[in-house]
Amino acid sequence: MNIRKMITAGLAGMAMAVLGSCVALAGGDIYVMFSTNVMSLDTNLATDGESFELIADCIDGLTQMDSEGAAIPAIAESWDVSDDGCTYTFHLRDDANWSNGEPVTAADFEFAWKLAMTANVEYNYMFDSSVGAVKNADAILYEEGDPDTLGVKAVDDKTLEVELEVPVSFFPSLLYFPTFYPINQAFYESFGDGEYGTSPSSFLSNGAFLLDDYIPGAASMTVVKNPDYYDADRVNLDSITYQVVGSSDQALTGFKSGNLDLAVVSGDQVASVQDDAQLADSLNVVGAGYLWYLSFSQTENNSSDGSLGNVNLRLAITNAIDRESLADNYVMDGSLPTYTAVPPQFAASATTGEDFSADQEMFADYIGFDTARAQEYYEKAKEELGTDSFQFTMIYGNNEGDEVAKVAQAIKEQVEAALDGVTIDLQAMTKAERLEKMQNDDYCVALTRWGPDYADPMTYLGMWVTDNANNYGFWSNEEYDQLITDCTSGAYVSDYDARWEALYKAEELVMQEAVIAPLYTKANANLIIDNLEGVDFHPVALNRVYKDAVLN
Amino acid sequence: MARYIIKRILMAVVTLFIITFLLFLLVRIMPGNPFPSERMSDEAIAKKREEMGLDDPILVQFGNYMKEVVTTGSFGKGSSLYNGAPISTVLPTAMNNSFRIGTAAILLGVITGLILGIAAALNRGHFWDVFCSVLSIVGVCIPSYVFMIFLQYYFAYKTTIFPFYFNNRRFVLSTVMPALSLSLFSMSTIARFTRNEMVEVMDSDYILMAESKGMYGSRLVMRHVLRNALIPIVTVIAPLIVDLLTGALVVEKIYGINGIGKLMVDAITGEGIDYNYVLALGILYSAMYIGIMLVLDIVYCLLDPRIRVSGDPRRKKQNTEGSGGMPGGTQQDVPVQSVDQILDGRGVQL
Repeated sequence: MNIRKMITAGLAGMAMAVLGSCVALAGGDIYVMFSTNVMSLDTNLATDGESFELIADCIDGLTQMDSEGAAIPAIAESWDVSDDGCTYTFHLRDDANWSNGEPVTAADFEFAWKLAMTANVEYNYMFDSSVGAVKNADAILYEEGDPDTLGVKAVDDKTLEVELEVPVSFFPSLLYFPTFYPINQAFYESFGDGEYGTSPSSFLSNGAFLLDDYIPGAASMTVVKNPDYYDADRVNLDSITYQVVGSSDQALTGFKSGNLDLAVVSGDQVASVQDDAQLADSLNVVGAGYLWYLSFSQTENNSSDGSLGNVNLRLAITNAIDRESLADNYVMDGSLPTYTAVPPQFAASATTGEDFSADQEMFADYIGFDTARAQEYYEKAKEELGTDSFQFTMIYGNNEGDEVAKVAQAIKEQVEAALDGVTIDLQAMTKAERLEKMQNDDYCVALTRWGPDYADPMTYLGMWVTDNANNYGFWSNEEYDQLITDCTSGAYVSDYDARWEALYKAEELVMQEAVIAPLYTKANANLIIDNLEGVDFHPVALNRVYKDAVLN
Repeated sequence: MARYIIKRILMAVVTLFIITFLLFLLVRIMPGNPFPSERMSDEAIAKKREEMGLDDPILVQFGNYMKEVVTTGSFGKGSSLYNGAPISTVLPTAMNNSFRIGTAAILLGVITGLILGIAAALNRGHFWDVFCSVLSIVGVCIPSYVFMIFLQYYFAYKTTIFPFYFNNRRFVLSTVMPALSLSLFSMSTIARFTRNEMVEVMDSDYILMAESKGMYGSRLVMRHVLRNALIPIVTVIAPLIVDLLTGALVVEKIYGINGIGKLMVDAITGEGIDYNYVLALGILYSAMYIGIMLVLDIVYCLLDPRIRVSGDPRRKKQNTEGSGGMPGGTQQDVPVQSVDQILDGRGVQL
């Protein structure tokens, strides 16, 4: 982010603050549905969307998301970037305090980031060279380096200096991700192992809301407005109560009965909601970011004979799938049929503002619903492999949403109908088992998903690099690897547009070889009461933000 | 009697130990990964496994586990559930919720069940008898969660008498519907059992004898009929109690109660299987079963002087079996048989 953009963002933030303070303070308490339990309020350990949402209600990072998902100042009032793009100096605001009265200091960030280096935590990869490229993160994480050498330094109480290995164009937008949030060291260390963040008294807030009612595993939890928040005038709601509702039927009844003000309903309920005059207006479909796709194991292993290593066979399958039908007839919640390896709606170009995957026709030469073309690829595959019958097992999770089993069944029917001789056996299991099988390369085809961790196409494209842990197909392509390296640490790091083009080129390789078969980008069908406005929905990082929410 | 109780307690401890060991083995061979991370490197996962000692030989792991449980009295930390928060921060609330709702359901079920059963037995062939029979059949047939949905629809949705979702801050009101729905099964079972046992006892020769001697009314019912009928009833009640206390998976899920039933489901079907939670809850369930069975045996002694004298209800069973017994089965042989029957043939009570 250059200085001008930064100032614009700063002004936008101020304008919003002023606007916020002008709106009549309506107050109000809202009741919001969570589909699953909050797993942790320790910013270091949290891994799920629910936890991130609750944490972000209560804690601000250096930056925060605006309604479009761009990074705007939060605890950092402003920041300077060195000419080489590798050093960020953040200037922290003076009026940000923890809920125990202590000021939020640069040292809180330094402590939290270094803590992430020492703990074996899921998201510490966000610091490494594939994402944030904070200096020495790779050496610390993967070569047992000293955590103190991490490129983050509290110059004084209100100045934080961060050094990066290479310029990272989206670095400020990483900082609103909870892994980068501050932790008050003295407070954190006053609790025993694993006890920090397990109750309102073992948790500190510096954000819009205070944690009022929470224990791990709670079915309902409440945050209340933080009167001492530096931007308290902007926050209108008095409280948010979250209710964990496991079944979508209960969610719908809860909404109808007025016990929930914001609920997510399943695809099969959408039609009935649309038919209901009272409910139809409350329906609001927002992108959830997740790309569902088929992963093909391209090796010979216990479960597969390696025939999926054949490009033509994979292309045949991907062209035999009717994605429109999957989205419209089986998922039914407004999810988008997807024909790109990077799903739409989460990564916009910093120069043009255009969505990276706005053009879903871009790879129409390789992917689409075209049974004749599928047949052509299939004939080639049969010839190359010297056989005309194939049997695959497709694994999918039975605890990943009501629609998943239906989608799996539909894909089986579509592919078997289009490609004579292909038999797909379905095998349902828990998500954990599915992952284990994929990680051990003990599968043929898997129906799987990936949600974006940050607003850059690399969150998807980075996975198909040789030996990446998420490259479950074990695909390997030198040209691709080189392109990705150039984008993360090589030629393109400081040329934004060239990098963007290179990412398209990389994506084309993925599509050309049908490394994966993208299916659809998940949406959430939300029901929102009419008088609740201003909730920001994002497909990445923080799914719902309530700072500007107003209950009229 | 003291010797008998001590023996039973020792047996209980040994049983619990064996169950813990079996559970420990089973949990580790369950499919699924305790650290199902898509974002952590293999090295990081290996380090986590090492921290938890998952790569040690299974007996060493078991030894370490038992050492921790016995010396610290805690079940340690979760592996994946709640991101490794100590189980002690999660379990007490879950137990508290399940136990309070369970206790309410038990009291409701036992009291109404007994009253209905007695009323039916005393009015054989009349209204109360038919009413009790119909209610028992309905109660046994309708799963508690269906009744829960029914209650929720009419009393929390159509009319807002009770909270729609479980709410810790309105605990008493929140308890009513789940307790009612959970008590239905036990109430029906107990009512039916009480009726049958009472009828059987009332048909027996010694009651005829008592009646012919001029004993009647509540004195006859309370001192002779009910007391003799209670032994088999206590047997049925015991496992029902454990069932209700250990939570009801579906009702907890529907009503959003964070109880131990829900915790168990989360521990198994969450992102990863959480070894320590599954174990802790498994041990808790077993300990409760064993504990209740222990109490049950002691209650038998108190209820039945013959058991008190012989010292072992199981020996009593063998004795009476040989004697031919009374027509329609004896009240003495029912209890022991029922414990086995119930434990063998019970389905999961939802």
